[in-house]
Amino acid sequence: MTNGNSEKNERVQITRLPTGVPGLDEILGGGLPEYSFNIIAGAPGCGKTTLAHQFVFANASKERPALYFTVLGEPAVKMLRYQQQFSFFDQSKMDGAIRFVNLSQVVLEQDLDAVLDEIIKEVEASDAKIVVVDSFRTVVRRAQGSTTELELQGFVQRLALRLTTWHATTFLIGEYVEGELRDNPVFTVADGLIWLYQSIERNSIVRKMQIMKLRGQESVPGLHTFRITRNGLQTFPRTFGLAQSAGHVKGRRRLSTGIPKFDELTGGVPEGDSLLLAGPSGSGKTIIASQFIAEGLRNGEPGVVAIFEELPADYISRAAKLGIDLETARDEDRLRIIYLRPLDLSVDETVHEIVNAVKELDAKRVVLDSLVGFEMALAPDFRHEFRESLYRMIAALTRLGVTVFSTVEVEENFTSMGLSNFAISFLADDIVRLRYVSINGQLRKMMLIVKMRRGNHSVDMWEYKITEKGIEIGEPLRGFRGLTSGIPGPWSDESGENYPALRDDRRGSGEEPER
Amino acid sequence: MNISPGSMRHLAQKLLALEAANPSSESAGEHEAARVCDKLRILLTRLAGADGFSTLLRRAMVLARKDDPSLESVAIRPDGSLEGFEKLSANDGNEAALTFIAHLLGLLSTFIGEPLTRRVVREAWDDQLPDE
Repeated sequence: MTNGNSEKNERVQITRLPTGVPGLDEILGGGLPEYSFNIIAGAPGCGKTTLAHQFVFANASKERPALYFTVLGEPAVKMLRYQQQFSFFDQSKMDGAIRFVNLSQVVLEQDLDAVLDEIIKEVEASDAKIVVVDSFRTVVRRAQGSTTELELQGFVQRLALRLTTWHATTFLIGEYVEGELRDNPVFTVADGLIWLYQSIERNSIVRKMQIMKLRGQESVPGLHTFRITRNGLQTFPRTFGLAQSAGHVKGRRRLSTGIPKFDELTGGVPEGDSLLLAGPSGSGKTIIASQFIAEGLRNGEPGVVAIFEELPADYISRAAKLGIDLETARDEDRLRIIYLRPLDLSVDETVHEIVNAVKELDAKRVVLDSLVGFEMALAPDFRHEFRESLYRMIAALTRLGVTVFSTVEVEENFTSMGLSNFAISFLADDIVRLRYVSINGQLRKMMLIVKMRRGNHSVDMWEYKITEKGIEIGEPLRGFRGLTSGIPGPWSDESGENYPALRDDRRGSGEEPER
Repeated sequence: MNISPGSMRHLAQKLLALEAANPSSESAGEHEAARVCDKLRILLTRLAGADGFSTLLRRAMVLARKDDPSLESVAIRPDGSLEGFEKLSANDGNEAALTFIAHLLGLLSTFIGEPLTRRVVREAWDDQLPDE
């Protein structure tokens, strides 16, 4: 009788092959099982062939040869012409590691048995360990005219059996639509099913991938975005950065922003917090964020700034006018300024870009400037899930222990004081609200610490100015009522509204304000 | 990709020389050009299909005839084999063969690039061609 441990040890170990597609191994749960029989499905042009090529080039060698069968769709010679444009296409592998075989003639002129025989003959002759049939759909479609469903099922089963027992890892590529999933013998037999989608919304193209089936291991469920560049496919797992444990305790240190009075009002920003700077255009959000980054750099803390609205050169130049030298820090790779403004950006891609920069620099401070720009940079398809996206992004960043300053533009009105247009304040540990107020015929600036989750903070409303040295916080605005409306009036002592006791207690409890 | 016709001509020269030096028993009596084409046919049919290879041959012949009108007497059979080289004088035949094979390799090179073309050729000749 064996105990649980020895049974566990006796289980067959499935080797997982790297896919050669950045991010995909993580989605698959560690790579693709060796000897598996897989299908890559999707509409034309969504990257099926490129995905298969990446796998083949990542794994093929003279000891593990690959056979790539092309059928009807695209002859091998044409495929070679286009696929060699990708950076992963290693011509040296064409010397025996990868062989292309055109099956068109057999498919056109003979039956399924002949196709099977031809595939097996080539596989056995070359001792192939990786086999791709592209496109398998055309084999099936061609056969459907003269073949019963049972014969087709038999063909697929024999193909899978013979290739698997030959110890080949196989990919069948096909232009399928989701409606064909039911009762299709190809999908029943397959060990792995990778579905690629491509959708157009307004002027943007969004590509997504789903692992619909994978025998023997746990893959990450759901749709994952991917992009095709000259390096081939790159996937962005939707759980990127969220799988690792936090490992950081927030608020162990209080960070300085480089604005002494701001630090006094907040008690310093708790390390690892996410702070939201909300205010109208021109109220100084970017300046505060720049000062926060610059102070970090002064203290030996590398930083990452993700900007969506202006070019890095403009951002640096704007900071320079305040005496902040971001250029040197960037040149010394202590600061990374990431400019993200393609209009079909996905959230996962953004998270990936920023998290990678944080890891590479061991950054301690991150600025997202601004969330409105971020939303605009997203493909329309992703905008309706903006709040969820932000949650994922902020969570991924704060898990790394970095302190995040996000700016958000607030459309100002003079009846109330909103925190943002996205109802995203729940994402922030700390919120600072900037706004214009009309006093004595002047448009003045006012700052209010709305929330500091980890401590007391000032509850006064402070006047501030933007000077050539940055933000300069003055005195609390007293003697006014209705300051939050932006159009304050004088307090009336006779009304009894001006309680002296409240005036003396100017530090909040740290509890979250009601929303 | 910048394709040098000279380099394809040089490669064609080598292939013809290899075939002239190593005639196999089953191809005795066949012109070297026919044997070069036959070796390429096996590999290129795998890559481009029989129709693709046959089209490549016909296109190469059209181009080669412009450079060497003596090729008018050479025909491509439906199965992709060549006939008529043996009717040309030794000198004319060799020059015409070189022109034709160079065009054939040039077409392939234009399509998939010179490095891949050389790899295909090396595979067809079982690595008898030295690396350049």
